Amino acid sequence: MNSLLAQFLAEAADLLALVDAGLLELERAPGDPDLVNEVFRAAHTLKGSSGLFDFPELTRLTHAVEDLLDAVRAGELPLDSGMTDDLLAAFDLIRGWLAYVTGNECLPATAGADAATLIGRLRAPIGGEPVPAETRLGSAWPDLAPSWLAVFDQEWLAETAAWLRTTSARMRFARYVPDSGCFFRAEDPLHLIRQVPALARLDVLEPARWPAAEDYDEYACLVSFVFAARAGAGEIGYLFRYVNDQIEVADLDGDTIQRFLTGPAETAVEISKPGPEMTGEARAVLAAALRGLSANPTGGPHLISVAGAITQAARALGDPVEIREPDVVTLTATVTRLLADAPPPAENPVAENPVAENPVAENPVEVGGRILKVDQAKVDHLMELAGELTVAKNGLAFLAEGADKEFGRRIKDQHAGLHRIAEDLQAAVMDIRMLPLSVAFARFPRLVRDLSRRLGKSVELVLTGEETMADKDVIEALADPLVHLVRNSLDHGVETVGERLASGKPGTARIALAAAADGDAVVVEISDDGRGVDPARVRRKAYEKGLISEAELETLSDADAVDLVFRPGFSTAEQISDLSGRGVGMDAVRAGVQKLGGAVTMCSQLGGGTTVRLRLPLSMAVTQVLVISVAGQRFGIPVDLVVETVRVPVAEMGRVLHQDVVVLRGEVVPVTDLARALDMPWQPDPAEDRAILIVTVAGQRMGLLVERFHREVDVLLKPMEGLLAYADEFAGTALLGDGLVLLVLNMEEVLGLAARVG
Amino acid sequence: MTETQPLVLVVDDAATVRMYHCTMLSEAGFRVREAANGLEAVEAALGAAFDLFVVDVNMPRMDGYTCVETLRSEVGTPAPVVMISTEERPGDADRAYAAGANLYLVKPVPPERLVRIARLFTAGRGVPA
Amino acid sequence: MPLELGDTTATLIGVVTVDEVEELATWLRVTAKPRVNLRKCNHLHTGAFQAILHFRPKVSAAPTDVFLAGLVLPLLMGSGGPPIRERSEP
Repeated sequence: MNSLLAQFLAEAADLLALVDAGLLELERAPGDPDLVNEVFRAAHTLKGSSGLFDFPELTRLTHAVEDLLDAVRAGELPLDSGMTDDLLAAFDLIRGWLAYVTGNECLPATAGADAATLIGRLRAPIGGEPVPAETRLGSAWPDLAPSWLAVFDQEWLAETAAWLRTTSARMRFARYVPDSGCFFRAEDPLHLIRQVPALARLDVLEPARWPAAEDYDEYACLVSFVFAARAGAGEIGYLFRYVNDQIEVADLDGDTIQRFLTGPAETAVEISKPGPEMTGEARAVLAAALRGLSANPTGGPHLISVAGAITQAARALGDPVEIREPDVVTLTATVTRLLADAPPPAENPVAENPVAENPVAENPVEVGGRILKVDQAKVDHLMELAGELTVAKNGLAFLAEGADKEFGRRIKDQHAGLHRIAEDLQAAVMDIRMLPLSVAFARFPRLVRDLSRRLGKSVELVLTGEETMADKDVIEALADPLVHLVRNSLDHGVETVGERLASGKPGTARIALAAAADGDAVVVEISDDGRGVDPARVRRKAYEKGLISEAELETLSDADAVDLVFRPGFSTAEQISDLSGRGVGMDAVRAGVQKLGGAVTMCSQLGGGTTVRLRLPLSMAVTQVLVISVAGQRFGIPVDLVVETVRVPVAEMGRVLHQDVVVLRGEVVPVTDLARALDMPWQPDPAEDRAILIVTVAGQRMGLLVERFHREVDVLLKPMEGLLAYADEFAGTALLGDGLVLLVLNMEEVLGLAARVG
Repeated sequence: MTETQPLVLVVDDAATVRMYHCTMLSEAGFRVREAANGLEAVEAALGAAFDLFVVDVNMPRMDGYTCVETLRSEVGTPAPVVMISTEERPGDADRAYAAGANLYLVKPVPPERLVRIARLFTAGRGVPA
Repeated sequence: MPLELGDTTATLIGVVTVDEVEELATWLRVTAKPRVNLRKCNHLHTGAFQAILHFRPKVSAAPTDVFLAGLVLPLLMGSGGPPIRERSEP
């Protein structure tokens, strides 16, 4: 892709994001001049940039958007939600087009038809089609002749070209390559072609090699077609809108076809002829100078610049003048003489329009400071390097252990210095990767608006703490759980207006998304004031599904009952709606968040609403793990799970109901034998104290019997790959400073395993 | 590239347009710098002597008119200024000329035309003809 | 019935849909010197069109439907010449 187009696509993506946010804000704060201006400006820039490419539909559509917004900006008409819908639809269409452009470097064939409908709607409130100012931009020019023109019968093509030339008419030529499986989708290409209005010619393109008779599959579409029609490109586009990726349409005039038929020799006619054109420019500059002079410039630099322009123009005309001490009168006389003497103007008017005064409202939008846009991959690479530096640094600690005392101490000093730098570097790189939560929240105003309309509910979305920063991986990982939770609230939590009013609540429900930083974690809460979760119903349902025992049905507290919705296989919705259903339940949300080292909790009040709380680490890049060994092999355990490490004499180990326990400060803590949980052969030395790691997993305090404790290290946790990708008992691997690959345990799973084994 | 080649400042808030203008001017042999709005342009002009300014009209922070006015009155540069507007609005040309522009054009400006105009304005200043 | 298959002639009647494609293709595959009668055919599914294009039966009667007669039949008849029969399978 050429770099200009790439630049345009990047710029357009930014502008579209700006526009979406702006429009939704606008609906809430209608008429806010700053917001209108911001959206207007984005549309304006998009229009301007699109003009550099052959995207006439894009230019026309953005122009219509701009005109509508301009009228809103000027206070000529208020922005209503119908208009907002149309504007959003326009930007959605543009977004789709740009995605297509990214792959194909041209607009889809349907662009014309799609744009026409929207342009009509957008222009309706401001009094219909304007003077088509942009016609010279692209659509007025015939397209280039596509290579597949050769498929047409050449004799017919020559006749058609001659006829088009004499009548100065054009014709639409199309190539339609149905995909081979199209019959299975009940598509009949010939039936589509039959409907093309004013079809003039059809030719078929047979496969280069037909399969042998016995291999011939009559259900695979092997042929493609070219056709010519006097139907408009829009009509054709509309007809083929469902197969727009399979059709190409070219609008051709007789000359273009003729040039195609006779080869490229005749095409190289247009070589620039600088002489007369330069004369035209010179006249334009002189005319501009006159207008500049009529503004009666008083400032020295302005007047000198006009004099300079006149000198340069005169020079280009081959009629040099010398201007010593410029003044308005002399200069005006000089220009008038030069213009009179200059050859008559070539067809090249200065583009300007001296009509009545109507100054443009200028209301500049603040744009942030200088921002350097960096390829994501580069930052990721930097992050990896910083992580590797941290790991390499850890190697020094190992080295120190092996060295003699004095040298070891020096290495440790060096290590301390390096440690600080590595940490700073890490923090600096992480900071680059930090994004505000607003990125994750951005889609919700639109989502809530659209879904609540579809569900016939009235919902106000309140976002707070959007400025909270978190690592981009965390932000990205939040996207799915958040969407799921918000949809859940909309779908199951929030009641219809009628139900709400009947239960004495305001008709409009409220869904709040709140983010806040909490130490090393970010907490996101999704709360609604809907009907809440009914613990009795959850209990009954869980029992019916065999998730809890009969005893639990009686004894489970309301809070614990609510938590059952996170159990795999649980879904409270009686009927699965197309919004939040699809079998992905709260269990998926919890699993997703836990995979990131986070936690999900829910509290709900029947009739009062539900709050789901997600807690995630601010960054996932570096994990601190405690290295332990069992059966001679080392493993890592995330430090944030570790409460303490204790050594307990064998005699103090207890046993309650087949479960090893240890009593710590009066609390009985169950102990799991890690070797056994991992199915590794190991027997603790009966003479030695037991090394027990106390961890908190899923809110429960547990002991873990290990062989030895080692040190804490910072590691760059990499997800499990290859064969081990499905080994859920491991959270990932990390490279240690001494080159050893450390398996980091996923404690939830390991303890789950232990429960199953023991 | 030598120092004798004319130095052009391209001022436009649309990065694509800026890149487009810069590319065609530098391909034609001009030395090019860019600014994303009027303020940046004024700052740049305070730091270097430009032979030509190509200025967009509608920009954030400081629009084209104010930018050109400032270039003339505060910076005091007599260098030619070409203003390029995205659309024609009544009175815009007059505003541009009053502000101190030497030529006001409406997009689209074909690349060869901008290069031609840049050459016209800078001819005799070490221009690649 | 849109498809009447005889010993050597297939008569296509009305709108030939995707449902007739397999039957027609099978018949064309096994028939020695197949002929197709398109006189009463109003539309030919692309799959049927493709089968006829591939197996090149002799078109014994031209369709009356404007689209088929004007734009599709010429494609089945080769480039303006008589139906090509050399390629029909034994």
